[in-house]
Amino acid sequence: MGPSVTSVAAPHGAPIEQSPYGIQSKKLAMWLFIIADAATFGAILFVYGYLRIANPNWTRPFAFSPTIVNGITMTVVLLTSSLTMVAAVAAAQSGRVSGGVRWLGATILLGLVFAALHLREWFAMIGEGWRLFQNPMGGSPLFGATFFGITGLHLLHVICGVIVIGAITLGFRRGRFDAGHVETTALYWHFVDLVWMFVFPLVYLMNTR
Amino acid sequence: MTAIAARRGPTMKLYVVLWIGLILIVGLEVFLTYQHLPARTLLVCLLGLALIEAALGVMYFMHLKYERPALFWSLIPYLLFALVMMDHFWPDALRLMRQRMQGP
Repeated sequence: MGPSVTSVAAPHGAPIEQSPYGIQSKKLAMWLFIIADAATFGAILFVYGYLRIANPNWTRPFAFSPTIVNGITMTVVLLTSSLTMVAAVAAAQSGRVSGGVRWLGATILLGLVFAALHLREWFAMIGEGWRLFQNPMGGSPLFGATFFGITGLHLLHVICGVIVIGAITLGFRRGRFDAGHVETTALYWHFVDLVWMFVFPLVYLMNTR
Repeated sequence: MTAIAARRGPTMKLYVVLWIGLILIVGLEVFLTYQHLPARTLLVCLLGLALIEAALGVMYFMHLKYERPALFWSLIPYLLFALVMMDHFWPDALRLMRQRMQGP
């Protein structure tokens, strides 16, 4: 927690009001984005939940191997990437640029592994005849719409996260970005991780054979 | 921002403990999945565990526990209110759909 001052001096000498939350404005903006995005994911997961429970013909296509095993691996990879991200933030805040860059690189690598595992599973399902509104098992066609819709939106967040972390890593290494940028990016990455903590049980585990 | 930059937070050891805890919760979710519970019961159990994971993530990994309380009170109640309102309005929308009059 910071000291209880109400204003600080701007570089040109004029006093400016300090954030009531004691955080940088970019971090507050990221929090507001995260709350809005959480409401978006909440809405689609609520819709999915009602469809899943209300529909007696809901398809349950996922076998333990390979789908659930793949899902567990993806979950562990994403959780581990959150751990490497906090290590990157800790290194950046203590001024260790090379350490920060290394941990950010590890986070990018784990994000890419997650995306690759996810795409491999998607392509396998598409190969079996799954489409947005096509169910090869003969059940509700809404399964494809909800599965590809929810996991696709999450995958989009992961890919955007990997790109942003890549940009932040380059900027941090060159001294253009500081620890605050790394911390703000980490907030986003942890949020993507948390969303998966809902997607995996609701979309995968609720649909096992 | 240096005046407010000084902050405390969890140690790496605590982060690793949390990481192990989160993986154990995922293991518990998979275990419950294969106990052949009714769909509604399983949904409630999985949602409850996911909420615990989310709370741990938000408070520790996202540092909300170590920020000023004003940030928590400005963000989380709003989000919970929005989610609860969704939960109450979706069933109402489904009820209205069933009440729709049939065409000629």
